[in-house]
Amino acid sequence: MSGLTGTMWIALNALEAQQVGMETTANNVANLNTPGYSRQVPVFQEAPQYLEGSLVVGGGVEVEGIQSLRDNLLDLQISEETQQQGNAQAYVNAMDQVQTLFPDDTTGIGQQISAFFQSINSLSTDPSDTTLRQGMLTAAQNMATSFNNTAGQLTSVRQQLDGDVQQQVQQVNQLTQQIATINANLPDVGNATQEYGSLIDQRSALIQQLSGLIDVSQLTEGNSLTLTTKQGAALVVGGQAYALSTAPGSDGVQHVYSSQGQDITGEISGGQLGGTLAARDQTVPSLQTQLDSLAGGLVTALNTAQSKGTDMYGNSGDKLSNLFEPVTGAGAAADMALAISDPNLIAASSDGTQGSNGNLANFSAVANTVISNGQTPSGAYGNLVFQVGTAVSNQTSELDASNAMLQQLQQQQSSVSGVSLDQEASNLMLYQQAYQASAQVITTVSQMIDTLMNVGAGSS
Amino acid sequence: MISTLQLSNLVLNALETSDEAEQTALTQVTTGRLVNADSDDPAAAAQEVNISSQMNGCDQYLRSISSITSELQTADSSLNSVVTALQQAISLGTEGANSTLSQQDRTSIAQQIQGISHQVFSVANLAYNGTYVFAGTASTQPPYVLDSSAPGGVRYQGNDHMNSVDVADGESVAVNQPGSQLFSAQGANVFVALSDLSTALESNGSTSDIGDAVTELRGAYDQLTSARTFYGSTVNQITGTQNFLNSENVQLAQQQNATVGIDIDTAVTDLTNAEESRAATVQAAASLNGATLMDYLANRGR
Repeated sequence: MSGLTGTMWIALNALEAQQVGMETTANNVANLNTPGYSRQVPVFQEAPQYLEGSLVVGGGVEVEGIQSLRDNLLDLQISEETQQQGNAQAYVNAMDQVQTLFPDDTTGIGQQISAFFQSINSLSTDPSDTTLRQGMLTAAQNMATSFNNTAGQLTSVRQQLDGDVQQQVQQVNQLTQQIATINANLPDVGNATQEYGSLIDQRSALIQQLSGLIDVSQLTEGNSLTLTTKQGAALVVGGQAYALSTAPGSDGVQHVYSSQGQDITGEISGGQLGGTLAARDQTVPSLQTQLDSLAGGLVTALNTAQSKGTDMYGNSGDKLSNLFEPVTGAGAAADMALAISDPNLIAASSDGTQGSNGNLANFSAVANTVISNGQTPSGAYGNLVFQVGTAVSNQTSELDASNAMLQQLQQQQSSVSGVSLDQEASNLMLYQQAYQASAQVITTVSQMIDTLMNVGAGSS
Repeated sequence: MISTLQLSNLVLNALETSDEAEQTALTQVTTGRLVNADSDDPAAAAQEVNISSQMNGCDQYLRSISSITSELQTADSSLNSVVTALQQAISLGTEGANSTLSQQDRTSIAQQIQGISHQVFSVANLAYNGTYVFAGTASTQPPYVLDSSAPGGVRYQGNDHMNSVDVADGESVAVNQPGSQLFSAQGANVFVALSDLSTALESNGSTSDIGDAVTELRGAYDQLTSARTFYGSTVNQITGTQNFLNSENVQLAQQQNATVGIDIDTAVTDLTNAEESRAATVQAAASLNGATLMDYLANRGR
């Protein structure tokens, strides 16, 4: 094709190309606020040249395709950071509840322990006084109740976390199913970023969501994508999703199984699931064990003190009642309870008389005795406060660092893939100008053709 | 190129950060505490468990001190009346030893001595809040009972044990002096001495018999006054402890404040800074709004 028709053809193609440009711009602006959307650009290229007589003439423009702008490396980094962020976030959320159970000031177990030892000192000023005896019994009851409550709340936190694990596994399964469905719709080969940009965008957003839930390794080959956990349990292979499952284990909590039936509970290290499991299976049980040890240590030491004295009825030795039900080991904190309700059964006397307070020194001495993990009662509680505080504080720092890192990565990603209205506006002007110019070319060619047609028509 | 979404995210993040800072500063100012959760400063929180337990302990020691002080003072002032009575008995006895006195006079003195013995007997059975203070640890029943078969006609049924009360960490004080040290000590029994004196006077004994009885009473008197100093010195000791505990409490409160409390100037400055920073961010956010090339395009169309 050559001559005026050729020129006309070039201009028409240009019109079409600029229109594609306008369309991409319109699409970009429309998706300004769509999460995971990658900015698209039309890929213009020169149309093949052709010969006009002995001249090589340019063939105009053609649109090779529309490309989504994305940086796969950034996507990977964001996915990694999201796993850490999800992990820290879930852990901090769980432990924020736990740390309120271990207050450092005027409430809680520490306060009740110290109130109990105060009541002993009070009783020592008048050991046969019924009111003071009742005071010591009430303080002992309050101390037991505070252990019961804290242990109960730790158990319920753990149950709640157990429920979270099930929910998070379900969410993982939903996401892997959605990702597999997208995979199935993508051809194995071909320039997917150019032709299936929106599908890739969606898949990318889903992978980020998945990374927030569980640790993920990605392997891409062409357009095909394999997702596994860091330890290699399959999640998605191409168009096939492999669902995880949960089932109660022998320890009474939900365990996570891979699709092959392998128990992967201990392997999950990232995402919310990782954080939830760390709190549920490590931190909370460790606190429970220490609380039980403290409760059991107190009960044993105070019962021993009781056994050395004489009560108001003159009972001593084997005839004495225990002060607390003798509980030790697992469940001691939850089961801690007074064994007596009669304040006269407290063995305050060391010489058998009702007015002696000699054995109360044995009770008071428990406050400064090593009873649990090499520590005194108040020291052991202080240590619990320190541990809970440190666990939360460490993970909060991790979370802050992760958030900052993630923000930075997202900014970077955004500057590659995000839509800038300034840029779109300037593109819009460019396309508009090019469109107007091409239209002008068509008008001019059209006039030239008219002129040509009128040659020979003379003065009609 | 900075994308439009990125810009609004930046603003959002900045707002979130300054919101958080403002919240933290506000909590600190309103609670007066730097540590509002264990995680704010785990070491300080653990330290506070210790400090607050020590403060509670101090308060309890102070309460115990005030309760035992009033018991000790009651016992001491009662013993004071015994001392006066015994002094009177001694001077009566000395008077009775005077050879010029008639038997009638002596009988009358003997009756006065018996009256003094009853007075001492009732003080020896002093009860404070239902507890017999001179009974040793057998303090739920009266330590002295009338018993004609016992020497002096009065039998001690208390014991010679003492109770101790912790008044500070590592410091405990004995809080009672058994009657066996005060009234019925071996060889210095007030009741025996009074009874002997009254018998010597009534039986119209020789002046030397009466004189011996007075000497015996002096011995019992000396024992009682010396054993009685226990009360004064214990009260002195625990008053010293009380002062120590009060200053300890002040020191612990300072330590607590230094550990978990805020420096109010710093906290208020932090709060002001956080508020200003938030206001500035909000203003920046507002001025960002709508400043794109698109607006220019729209205006161009008019």
